[in-house]
Amino acid sequence: MNAIVSNLAQPVGQPKTAERDLLLRVDNVSLSFGGVKAITNISFDIQKGEIRAIIGPNGAGKTSMLNVINGFYHPQEGTITWRGEVRRKMKPYEAASQGIARTFQNVALFKGMTTLDNIMSGRSLKMHRNFLWQMAWFGPARQEEIEHRRKVEDIIDFLEIQAIRKTPVGKLPYGLQKRVELGRALAMEPELLLLDEPMAGMNLEEKEDMSRFIVDVNQEFGTTIALIEHDMGVVMDLSDRVVVLDYGKKIADGPPEEVQASQAVIDAYLGVSH
Amino acid sequence: MLYDIFIGPFVQMVEMPDFFLQVLWEGFVAGILYALIALGFVLIFKASGVFNFAQGIMVVFAGLTLVGFYESGVPALLALLLTIGVMGALAYGIERFVMRPLVNQPDIILLMATIGLTYFLIGLGEFVFGGEPKRMIAEELGLPTGSTAIEMGERGLVILQHIDIAAAVIAILMVTALGIFFNKTRIGRALRAVADDHQAALSVGISLNQIWAIVWFAAGLVALATGIMWGARSDVSFALEIVAFKALPVLILGGFTSIPGAIIGGLIIGFGEKIGEIYWGGLVGGGIESWLAYIIALIFLLFRPQGLFGERIIERV
Repeated sequence: MNAIVSNLAQPVGQPKTAERDLLLRVDNVSLSFGGVKAITNISFDIQKGEIRAIIGPNGAGKTSMLNVINGFYHPQEGTITWRGEVRRKMKPYEAASQGIARTFQNVALFKGMTTLDNIMSGRSLKMHRNFLWQMAWFGPARQEEIEHRRKVEDIIDFLEIQAIRKTPVGKLPYGLQKRVELGRALAMEPELLLLDEPMAGMNLEEKEDMSRFIVDVNQEFGTTIALIEHDMGVVMDLSDRVVVLDYGKKIADGPPEEVQASQAVIDAYLGVSH
Repeated sequence: MLYDIFIGPFVQMVEMPDFFLQVLWEGFVAGILYALIALGFVLIFKASGVFNFAQGIMVVFAGLTLVGFYESGVPALLALLLTIGVMGALAYGIERFVMRPLVNQPDIILLMATIGLTYFLIGLGEFVFGGEPKRMIAEELGLPTGSTAIEMGERGLVILQHIDIAAAVIAILMVTALGIFFNKTRIGRALRAVADDHQAALSVGISLNQIWAIVWFAAGLVALATGIMWGARSDVSFALEIVAFKALPVLILGGFTSIPGAIIGGLIIGFGEKIGEIYWGGLVGGGIESWLAYIIALIFLLFRPQGLFGERIIERV
């Protein structure tokens, strides 16, 4: 099976990726929970400015992979190189402060708070005034809050969610919640944005909107995106390169057309006895 | 009978306004003290979505520590500072050894952890300070004693205990400071974020460890203030822990997540209890003070389950 794995650092037919730098590299990462192996010896990279899709059947280890990247899980083996430096074991909030933002498969918003507050919470790391200023609630702290508020309003405009600015997010329909969650991640001005099934449970129109936002974020803000998605149409349209996982192992890696044609991928999706 | 319920008590109130005012004052003071306890619960609930079973014992523990330091020969004010230090260390310890390993666990697990913490603190308190009630060093801390009698013209007297006035002032100050801290600052937003969703909070770069340590420390300070105030009125003993559960109806009334709610709820319970006991208690043989609060809370639950100021969380299913 390994013969078919195509590991292309600089995929052919994609000249724009050629001069890009490496943003993140995962080398031989393995992760297990007790006796259950979630990820086995996976290596791949994410280059600056690309949209990288991670696909695979349910239980393939895609979300675990994202969790490893943003520090929720610590792999037992392997290394993660972030911007050219091998990363030590880090906590999620450290990953966040280094510019990794994410959304979740099952929307993880702060349900009691409004859309505005949810997105503002994405600015947590960008606010630097200390406790005392904050308590005083005037002067620099206040000025800072206003600046951040402006940034957040820009994001709200960008995502076209002005109308629900003050609505508690628990009340919103699922599609909008996903959009707010994207907004919160964008508020962090991340270098790498991890999207875990951004289009799950959406109708066609919502999927088209979301696709447009993802492409815009990638092109206008230059944000690198790694996304997990089950809708193959979306994956093939959006992504520059695709990595395919199955049973915690990598079975293909390359540009969408190539991956689509790979026998191992077809087998994984259609089901072949293992 | 109807007269006794609907008319008699009010006639009494008007006929003896001095007595009525005295009752109101008693209710006010009790309310403030309930509010102080409830405040401790609210802080933890806001930050972790958990009813902190250990808040009551933290009140006792703080009080005992303060008296303990004083009895071992430390000057009163230094003892107070040291106790604040102990509460800080306790907050760090709870964060490090209880909360941190339980990140992302269901709320019920965290609740069980606080029950465990309760028994740990009871054991530790008894081991270090012994089981006997101790006298609170209110005077030594510079809290006023004595009382003032206000004359009501020819009608009579209202007596105000100075310690009660001090309790009211301290409670109001603490509530204002905490209110500003948690509603107007980034920390406040972070706190609500943490309470809603651990993973999401982590992913936007909020440090759970830091937030939890801050919150448990704040709850520790509130516990200390409560311990001093309750202790000054009775004694510092493990029985205070039970009194702390009076905070439960207060929280149901005010909402588990609202600092102003804790205050208003505390006052409603305080006034309700005293007035109910004095003017209506006789009808059922008295002693209604101990359960009236729960009845008020139950009635409230029927109409406003989220409390007066609680967050109304609507979940789409």
